[in-house]
Amino acid sequence: MPLVNLPAFAPDLIADLERLGTERVDTPVIQPAEPFLDMAGEDLRRRIFLTESETGKSLCLRPEFTIPVCLRHIETATGTPKRYAYLGEVFRQRREGSNEFYQAGIEDLGEPDVARADARAVRDALTVLKNRLPGVAFSVVLGDQSVFEAVVAACGLPAGWQKRLVHAFGNQAQLQRLMDDLSNPARDGVFGPEVDRLAILGKLDDEATLIAHIDATMEATGYSTNASRSPADIARRLREKMELANTRLDARTLALLREFLALELSLAEAPGALAAFAGKAGLSLGAALARFESRVAALSATGVDPATITYRAAFGRPLDYYTGLVFEIAPAGESLVLAGGGRFDRLLTLLGARERIPAVGFSLWLDRIAGVKGAAA
Amino acid sequence: MTITIGLPSKGRMKEDSSAVLARAGFSVVAVGNDRSYRGRVEGRDDIEIAFLSASEISREIANGTVDFGVTGEDLVREGLAEADARVEFCARLGFGHADVVVAVPEIWLDVDTMADLGDVAQDFRARHGRRLTIATKYWRLTQQFFSGNHGIQLYRIVESLGATEGAPASGSADIIVDITSTGSTLTANHLKILSDGVILKSEACLVRARKEEHEGDPVVAEIVQAVRKAL
Repeated sequence: MPLVNLPAFAPDLIADLERLGTERVDTPVIQPAEPFLDMAGEDLRRRIFLTESETGKSLCLRPEFTIPVCLRHIETATGTPKRYAYLGEVFRQRREGSNEFYQAGIEDLGEPDVARADARAVRDALTVLKNRLPGVAFSVVLGDQSVFEAVVAACGLPAGWQKRLVHAFGNQAQLQRLMDDLSNPARDGVFGPEVDRLAILGKLDDEATLIAHIDATMEATGYSTNASRSPADIARRLREKMELANTRLDARTLALLREFLALELSLAEAPGALAAFAGKAGLSLGAALARFESRVAALSATGVDPATITYRAAFGRPLDYYTGLVFEIAPAGESLVLAGGGRFDRLLTLLGARERIPAVGFSLWLDRIAGVKGAAA
Repeated sequence: MTITIGLPSKGRMKEDSSAVLARAGFSVVAVGNDRSYRGRVEGRDDIEIAFLSASEISREIANGTVDFGVTGEDLVREGLAEADARVEFCARLGFGHADVVVAVPEIWLDVDTMADLGDVAQDFRARHGRRLTIATKYWRLTQQFFSGNHGIQLYRIVESLGATEGAPASGSADIIVDITSTGSTLTANHLKILSDGVILKSEACLVRARKEEHEGDPVVAEIVQAVRKAL
């Protein structure tokens, strides 16, 4: 019996992935839910199919492949570099479209030449799409969170703000709101009455006094034995917050950030434009810019013309394990994403790998590719 | 057509909803004895009363088994996805007040806003080896508020069906999302509400299931009008 929804071109796609020098892996459809919820957050709960084992363990139907493939890599401990390929069914609650559909892709783990691995991910995704959809023109959009991180750092913003801005990167509305808040901070409700009281008592004057006070209060209220945040954690952050209370994002920096986030141009021109932006603003983007340039060069070297790719400075994914490159490929002139990928250097250590493993990958939406194929035929 | 109204089956909510309906001219009586789960309105053959538990009422409105219900806005918004498309909040009844709030340990002196909480959540895993945990029975409201309104994704919910306010002290969660009417239980447990941490100001509402056959039904219109006037 044929599998439901498996596109007819699947065997050809598997052959494509094999020709790209990958090792095919499969993972169980039923997965422990914890890693997914831990990595992507509680929001995912509404979008996956959850169930429970007899013993109360939370399980889900595989909602994507990256996490299971990485977990499998960590368990088998077979060393890096590794290029894994997968093709299989994923399950998500969607208002539109089927709840079960196929994805395929490559996870490239442990390649130390980051620029080369990034370029290869974009090229591999394009190669597979071109093979399966001959005659279709594609548009590629590329972003890089590390450039934004470098801009924010070069602006000399306080560390706490840098973290907030980087965290909001990729979520336009949230980032906009945050920049507005930072340039026009709220006056009320920022510090509670207890902080005012302690200020009058002089308990905030130095960190040691503050820590001692918090410790004593925790003891007295019976909270200390189970406290997750220690007195030192709380004192440190309170003092950071007080230092920032009277500062605001100045107009010049705000304008610079806005100008940067509005950048959208051909990737071939992007290194020059970023250098010009940095020069005019008097910012030193040093290493981030160099890495960006070497990725563009690596793309040219693998045969992908950077002039055909759009660089959008504000493009990112608001997940904390995405660290650099992100990209999406759609049919030219359409918004339907056929392939999406990016670099996730933090994921493997978050999942329990002992050493840091650089990683980049992409996945293909087979139902959408089939749709485009059907429309073109 | 007979119109069914779902009312809370016990306690203050039962008395208060019957009182509002009585003021609106619908005198509710139980069928059979006082403990019966069915009732009627004196002199009205076209209205039926179903006494249900508070949490069932939102579900019964959603699937259309009752036409109206009196229940807390929090239960409806928690129980139903896209609540406003499926039900109409016809009247706010002025009792059963309860705020759904985000509360953190009082001793978290550095946390008084959702932005502070966002900062703490972001660093939590690096500092404590796990995500920030929230004890609540309000999964949906928490998710909407944290990610929709404040861009906070990195937390885990620990389901709590009772004594939620004790979770931070017992170590089963770091913070809570719960209902409070006076805030005294929170204070007693050394918790404080964030200054922008009120998710919903809830009270008992007359809620109507959005059903096509209600269109132009004079009894439906009459109930809504009479209850609104009685407030």
